[in-house]
Amino acid sequence: MTNENILLVCVSPRRKGTSAMLLERIKNFIGGEIVFLNQKGSFEELIKKMQMAKIIVISGPTYINSYPARLFEFLEKEVPNHKFSNQKLYGIINGGMPYVHTHEHGLFYLKLFAKENSFSWMGGFVLGGGAILDGQPLEKHLNHRKVVPLFDQFISCIGKGVFAPKELYEKAEVAIPKCITYVLSKALTSKVVKNLKKYDHNPSDLIYYLKELDSKN
Amino acid sequence: MITIISDDSKNNFMDTIKESIKKTTKKIVVFKANDLNVEPCLACASCGGKTYGRCILEDDMQKILPQIVRSEKMILVSPIVYGGVSFHIKKIMDRISSVGDPRYYMKNGELVKKMRIPDLKYYMVGIKENLTFEEELLFIKLHEENINIMSVDGKAFIVEKKLDNSIIEEILKEIIYD
Repeated sequence: MTNENILLVCVSPRRKGTSAMLLERIKNFIGGEIVFLNQKGSFEELIKKMQMAKIIVISGPTYINSYPARLFEFLEKEVPNHKFSNQKLYGIINGGMPYVHTHEHGLFYLKLFAKENSFSWMGGFVLGGGAILDGQPLEKHLNHRKVVPLFDQFISCIGKGVFAPKELYEKAEVAIPKCITYVLSKALTSKVVKNLKKYDHNPSDLIYYLKELDSKN
Repeated sequence: MITIISDDSKNNFMDTIKESIKKTTKKIVVFKANDLNVEPCLACASCGGKTYGRCILEDDMQKILPQIVRSEKMILVSPIVYGGVSFHIKKIMDRISSVGDPRYYMKNGELVKKMRIPDLKYYMVGIKENLTFEEELLFIKLHEENINIMSVDGKAFIVEKKLDNSIIEEILKEIIYD
């Protein structure tokens, strides 16, 4: 589907991860063009596309409780030098931790950005437990029964150009009992340790950067 | 040892603390984030696998990480931008995860991560004149989420006036002179 008014901006360095998958889903439902924030070089082309669009959706992963630094660079250094005409801005942020509070800073950050730079903030969606998906369809999400219809409601807000209330993503969050959380921490850890063992590492190995400086001295 | 990383593109934090930090005998290493070449994290996952604990991007982060892993305190100083840190500081924060513990832990009934650096204290100083209340709360919230997920202690300081020695003294008294 094509819709020249909608620009879907993936700000993840990974082009086939969950951030991109969510934009694919939007594209399939209401159209739009998917573009990627480059990790190096000029922002010129992206700025032009954003100026032409009426609706902009930014989708990215959570790094240290907010969007990746490259988006920060784009929004702090580049965008304020250009003119925009109150384009509608939506945000999506997804991360591994299954909690809204871990990721939500990203949306508030976009909201303040919009206010200072002639964009109209239209709300966003926080997807916890997103990293485990690793780009697989949303139907594979652990909490898909709730997440899928709520995310699709979010998509229809974008399609209509109306504000997306935070209740949509708040309802998509599951309360995980302590015992399940404990099991989850063990399961995720064993996956991580297995991966390290594959490369002959142990979690408790001496920190690499402690070795390096000592050997130079 | 204490590592201070400051984005001085909008302030002159490093110059302002020069005299003050002479008052302590502790080793203090300083980096000016806005003068460094730090690439954005590429999410290659190498630091959690093949090159465990080492970032494969060869840039100035290779000078910062050996200092951070030897520090008991890390202080990030940043202009407040849209209720967050500046992009210079955010690039460094994203890359610090390469010295994070890749395992998962449970704290207060929730999943969290840890740093591999024992007892690291993590401070943030946010600077902006005429700060709105919303922006201040958001900056503090970011820091609270950071210390929660990294399972470290720390504190965020807000400077909403022009930087001067008396403000710096107050902050350093709490972080450095103890």
